[in-house]
Amino acid sequence: MTSENVLRAARYPFLPEAREFISRNIDLTLESLEKTGSEAALKRAVERVENALIFKEVKVTVLDELNYVREILSFPIAVILVSMTMNEYVRRMYALGESRGAYRRMLNESDETLLYIGEKMGVEGVLDDESMIRVKIPTYLKLAYSFHAPHWKLVNRAVSNGYVLMGRNEYARLVQVEINNYVYEKTLEPVPMGAAPDSFRRAVGKIVEVWSKLEAAKPSHISLRERGDTPPCIDRIIKKMENGENASHFERLVVATFMIARNRSIDEIIEFFSKQPDYKYSVTKYQVEHLAGLRGGGKKYSVPSCRTMLTNGLCYPDEYCKGIKHPLRYGEENAANKPRVS
Amino acid sequence: MLQTSLEFLKREFFKYYYENIDRLVPPEPIRNREFGFFLEKGKGMFRHKCFNSLRDFHEFILSEIPLDIYVSAANYEDPGNRDMSEKKLVNAELFFDIDVEPVNAVSDEEAAWICQKCGQYDIGLKERCPSCGSPTELVRLLSEKQLREALGETEKLIHVLIEDLGIAPDNTHVFYSGNRGYHVHINQEDFLNITGEGRREIIDYLLIQGLDEKELLNILRRGVSIENISLKGVKKRVYMRILEKAGSVEKLKASRRETVLKMLEDVVEELKVRIDPVVTIDVHRLMRMPESINSNSGMVKRRIRLEDLSSFKPLEEAIAFGDEEACLKVKIAPKFSLGGRTFGPFKDEEVELPVYAAIYIICKGLGEYAGG
Ligand code: SF4
Ligand SMILES: [Zn+2]
Repeated sequence: MTSENVLRAARYPFLPEAREFISRNIDLTLESLEKTGSEAALKRAVERVENALIFKEVKVTVLDELNYVREILSFPIAVILVSMTMNEYVRRMYALGESRGAYRRMLNESDETLLYIGEKMGVEGVLDDESMIRVKIPTYLKLAYSFHAPHWKLVNRAVSNGYVLMGRNEYARLVQVEINNYVYEKTLEPVPMGAAPDSFRRAVGKIVEVWSKLEAAKPSHISLRERGDTPPCIDRIIKKMENGENASHFERLVVATFMIARNRSIDEIIEFFSKQPDYKYSVTKYQVEHLAGLRGGGKKYSVPSCRTMLTNGLCYPDEYCKGIKHPLRYGEENAANKPRVS
Repeated sequence: MLQTSLEFLKREFFKYYYENIDRLVPPEPIRNREFGFFLEKGKGMFRHKCFNSLRDFHEFILSEIPLDIYVSAANYEDPGNRDMSEKKLVNAELFFDIDVEPVNAVSDEEAAWICQKCGQYDIGLKERCPSCGSPTELVRLLSEKQLREALGETEKLIHVLIEDLGIAPDNTHVFYSGNRGYHVHINQEDFLNITGEGRREIIDYLLIQGLDEKELLNILRRGVSIENISLKGVKKRVYMRILEKAGSVEKLKASRRETVLKMLEDVVEELKVRIDPVVTIDVHRLMRMPESINSNSGMVKRRIRLEDLSSFKPLEEAIAFGDEEACLKVKIAPKFSLGGRTFGPFKDEEVELPVYAAIYIICKGLGEYAGG
């Protein structure tokens, strides 16, 4: 591996070449990790997770990159630590933090490197003559739906011949989503607790401590709640509103779109909103009808994805959230069993 | 439907399936699909059925003679499981359904009405029952005009699927549904795994929903000519059509904002493809089996080759049965065309009709079998 490639692996430690580097140079078994002078890597791993929890972004400095063995190794260790916390919020936040950091770094890369990272992550892009990047529609749809802004909708995109065209930044955003998915899924892989060295357990303890200090993460995961149809994030807003507490604009949007998606009538939704301190019938009616697509262009607003909820500090996952990407997927198994034919 | 009619139907259905069984080929691998059947009129669906081979499937059809046959758009690991989530979805074809609202009859002869309140019925166009004054129900038989319209929408759909979404013509399977519309199945590898949210996006693309009108309006009002902008996809199509309607960039530029906005709305209305969104979003949907009989009409869900699409004549090319005469007691039927011939109008009469037309009237619930 050339030194340039090693630095790239340090900058993006989730790339296959980083794994390769490890398997070629380091004996990565839980038992041996402690001995291979990985204390520094462990420390850096904790820092990665703390970065993610506190700053919502894992930062990698030039110095970190130069310290590439430590840097590359710290990623799989961080994944192990996160998995060991068995905490859904930490999992999601860590994945978000890694992907955000990577996004920022990708923006400074050459087109070539950017496309290389994308390809390795399964987001193949092709540079066309007008220096736009083309992405296959199925790939695009898989990743772009988690963005809420209208310009990400397929109907508003330059679409041609099976491809969606976009600039560098937008492409990097798509790659970011895939990095997020990749890291998140890695943290779902269970770690045999017995095999973990003490130093790892102490590190996990440290992470959990940081997490519990953070206001955003009220320990909703501890209460073994019965799984209803309503995901915890939305349940929380609903309870809050039922208590007459003022909800933010975004929180209201979430609840309204959720209720619309669950086929509640406009009147029912307005009735629910009437408990809000600043309630005005006509305004609420207008807004709800707008979200339902009954006004202004017929655009129906969808419920924000888990990702959007998380970035807005509204994700309070419980054990049934494991693996889902959209709040509407929560409780999906209860779906009706009746035949629908055409 | 009387028992004698049902027996007649089953006899004729058997003949059709016996002769055409080789045309009924579900997508491979057959053992990953769920099948559903209506075996008797008015009974619920017999579903969660799966087959290990084409032969088993054919044997089942020939022994049960179902009234309707369905196959899932999805591939499952365990298609026979009665619990939807336990079926374990692998992937699903993209499936589109285009139905057009029935159009109103042009002449009195081509219409008939029934009063559900007092039971009266007659030929002609009457919105209210002459004896009791309540609103009537119009008898709607398939009309060439309506199906023509649906075919136009289908051509629009295929154009967008191929040009914009990059679906290969070979993966685009078009069918007349056997009744009021058309079905399009897309069996293209990279589109099979698109999730519900992704399908929603494709639907919005086709229905032109959620279009960001502001940008488009800006371009239109600034009078930018097409060479100077790089629009693609829906926006380009909308832009070009508006330009065409306005006549020239200059005229467009001179138009009032409201005028342009109105044009925009009209063009979106004109260009959108009228698919049924509920069908496409639903990966667990059961689709009518290609080349099987639709018991709502007695016609076949017929495969249409892409090159034959524009000239396809559903009322002639989707006939399942022969033209031997059968005796039918018709309650009420407006004038209708089928198999290249015209029949009726009929009211309370016993008539001799070719089997295909007799079955059509029986399936539409307007008559009963009276002997062959
Ligand atoms: S449904 Fe999604 S956003 Fe809501 S709590 Fe669960 S993981 Fe978080
Ligand atoms: Zn009447």
